[in-house]
Amino acid sequence: MNEAPEHGLHIVGPVATTPGAPPAATRPSRWVSVLADGSVVAYAGKVEFGQGIRTGFAIEVADELRVPLERVRVVLGDTALVPWDMGTFGSQSTARTGLQLRRAAATAREALLEMAADRLDLPADTLIARGGRIAPAGGGRGVAYEELVAGTEQERDVDDAALLTRADEFSIMGRDHARCDALERVTGRAIFAQDTVIDGMLFAAVLRAPSHGATLSALDVTAAERMPGVAAVVRDGDLVAALADTDEHAEAAAAALQATWDEAPATASTLDLPELLLRSARDAFVTQEAGALDDGFRTADAVLEGQYYVPYVSNAPMEPRAAVARWDGDRLTVWAGTQRPFGIRTELAQRFGLEEDAVRVIAPEIGGGFGSKSPYPAAHEAARLARVAGRPVRVAYSRLDEMQTATVRPAALFNVKSGFTNDGRIVAWQFDAYHAGDRPFLGRRGSETPYDITNARVTTYTCDSPLAAGSYRSLGGAANHFAREVHIDEIAEATGLDPVELRLRNLAHPRFRRVLERAAEAHGWRPAAAPSRRGAGVALGLDVGSYAATVVQASVRGGEARVERVTAALDCGLVVNPEGVRNQVEGSIVMGLGTALSEIVEFHGGRVLSNGFARYRVPRAADAPVVETVLVGDADTPSTGAGEPAIVPIAAAIANAVSDATGERQRELPINRHLR
Amino acid sequence: MVALRINGTTYEAPDPGRNLLSFIRFDAGLTGTKYACGEGECGACTVLVDGGSLRACQATVGAVADGEITTIEGIARGGELHAVQQAFIDASATQCGYCTPGFIMSAVALLGRQPRPTDEQILDALALNICRCGAYQRIVRAVHEAAARMSEPAG
Repeated sequence: MNEAPEHGLHIVGPVATTPGAPPAATRPSRWVSVLADGSVVAYAGKVEFGQGIRTGFAIEVADELRVPLERVRVVLGDTALVPWDMGTFGSQSTARTGLQLRRAAATAREALLEMAADRLDLPADTLIARGGRIAPAGGGRGVAYEELVAGTEQERDVDDAALLTRADEFSIMGRDHARCDALERVTGRAIFAQDTVIDGMLFAAVLRAPSHGATLSALDVTAAERMPGVAAVVRDGDLVAALADTDEHAEAAAAALQATWDEAPATASTLDLPELLLRSARDAFVTQEAGALDDGFRTADAVLEGQYYVPYVSNAPMEPRAAVARWDGDRLTVWAGTQRPFGIRTELAQRFGLEEDAVRVIAPEIGGGFGSKSPYPAAHEAARLARVAGRPVRVAYSRLDEMQTATVRPAALFNVKSGFTNDGRIVAWQFDAYHAGDRPFLGRRGSETPYDITNARVTTYTCDSPLAAGSYRSLGGAANHFAREVHIDEIAEATGLDPVELRLRNLAHPRFRRVLERAAEAHGWRPAAAPSRRGAGVALGLDVGSYAATVVQASVRGGEARVERVTAALDCGLVVNPEGVRNQVEGSIVMGLGTALSEIVEFHGGRVLSNGFARYRVPRAADAPVVETVLVGDADTPSTGAGEPAIVPIAAAIANAVSDATGERQRELPINRHLR
Repeated sequence: MVALRINGTTYEAPDPGRNLLSFIRFDAGLTGTKYACGEGECGACTVLVDGGSLRACQATVGAVADGEITTIEGIARGGELHAVQQAFIDASATQCGYCTPGFIMSAVALLGRQPRPTDEQILDALALNICRCGAYQRIVRAVHEAAARMSEPAG
């Protein structure tokens, strides 16, 4: 990695100046550099884990700076090189960081215009930036950026008032671009955490608890220490690992450890979970309240109640977590495929009593995560073992380690009660959501109804969770949407209305109406009372500020549902790279399809039974539907998230399509387990 | 001690019982071939042995010592990408990219035996590869596109 100071023009600024911001966020750091070779470097604390953000940032900076896209290099996720960042989650990268990079690039453009005005002795307002040069608007060669910055080393503050390029003047943004880092991916040159190998490194195999909450009561290392290639068997508190010259020697030695575990008695298994959620519900939190429910139910022509359930599902990214740690005296460097390099840096500094500056966390390419790579114990394990061993250490999770220890999306149970008039106006809405786990923000996301209902109360609860519940694409948003949008379909059925029409009758928001209408139109939706027996399903949703609607064509054969065609409309405001957004929508659809049809994490007590791809059924190529994405956002509306919103309606749309095909209402996931 | 041919280079393997995937990644240093499941379920470790696809995580070095092994690093020729690699770029068929080498190697094996595959043949050939990012429709499109380009008369 080249860390030599590079001469040029650097645009610097803090990430935040608000009171309470972490000190690292308030320190100015580089966002954009225009270098003496004419290249441009953009810096951001986000990580690339498949969402294509490196490409998105490059597009934004190139367009603001009027340089060809291939001239921009983007540096991500290395705490020594990039601005502080809380983490890559919540679909904030384009909405916030991308906007900051645009401001920085626009600042650089304006600085270059000033520099050129001096050089050419012309008024700045007679010059324009184009193709990496500043030239007189009326014509003439002008001067290249590299000539302007050659031999200089200057810093300018990000100018929040710098003029951003108007949507009708974009030449790179808003057009389709292939990923700027695709070449490394198709040639095998992209280096992921699992691929990171450094000089003098030992391979670790960590002794894993057989279940959540198990404690080690006895350990005999004698046999393990005698295994071939073993450098040491390390015990550091609750962390036990064999360190060896190869991965296989380490694993063989770890397998020879004689460990006795105390496991908590298994009080719950997969099938007990719905009842456990209800029984342990606490911390009622009202996320939405309007009118008076009793009045609403009294004035309703009909009242409908339903119960819905989604099990635990696993993020199951292709790359299991891995980290390499190296100590140089009291300085620590860790390569870790985490969504939170700065958060992990803080954790490591605290653990070892170091200044944050003494710790460097480098996130290489990351093989998926979808939320589960925010907690990153592998980084801690590698750092602890390297400290004891006095040599660099690699900790790489096996698939089994990954599935047993990673957090899962909370299972959730829903009781929904609605009151409506005969003409399909919903007048009362009572939505109680019981999400596993004690992290209430997971279950609150997306719990509010987007429909215009005079009397509504939405309440979320935290509940016991035998497995560690954590982040997932849209957090609990997709689960909340599943329950809500299936129930809405039941209202359509009860009133004999077409499911699209029923929704439109209760939706005032123009962006919601538009996204639904465009999805229905693009799909060729033909109105009919449900169930139509055609296998058609629809659902809509809102997540991270973006509006999504999905129409599904499904069929059922031999007790298995199959999704044939999906039309997904998304309004995420300004789209930086349509090809990138379509890719995220397609990915969200396929991931949500897995939760709808086949995915369930089975467990017994703290043991995960679905601990490999043979036992946890994610979608494969033959399961993937034809997906058509319709982007309906306005270019002058600020960008909102694109990586998550398309997942929130899909499971409900599939369930509604299957119900429409069979005439039997699907209220529980995964559907293929409940079809007869 | 066995000798192993990978991408035209001969490597010495002291232990014939060594896991082939570990050997490729850590002993030969070719980390383009990925570990993802270790059970032969996901295809991230797919390599070619004499043109046919093999899950490297399920093999030992000794089992393939007589064969010509090709990894993702060995399919570009003279600085030019293999048609399947180029088609994956053009179709934006890669997101996180961790599964990508395995998919490409499965596709290369398929096109070696079936130059113009049908949808069904492609899905069959990719049945043991998982893309958790869900780029499947782009991957299938890329394989078709590569097949079309490879079938064009050279010119």
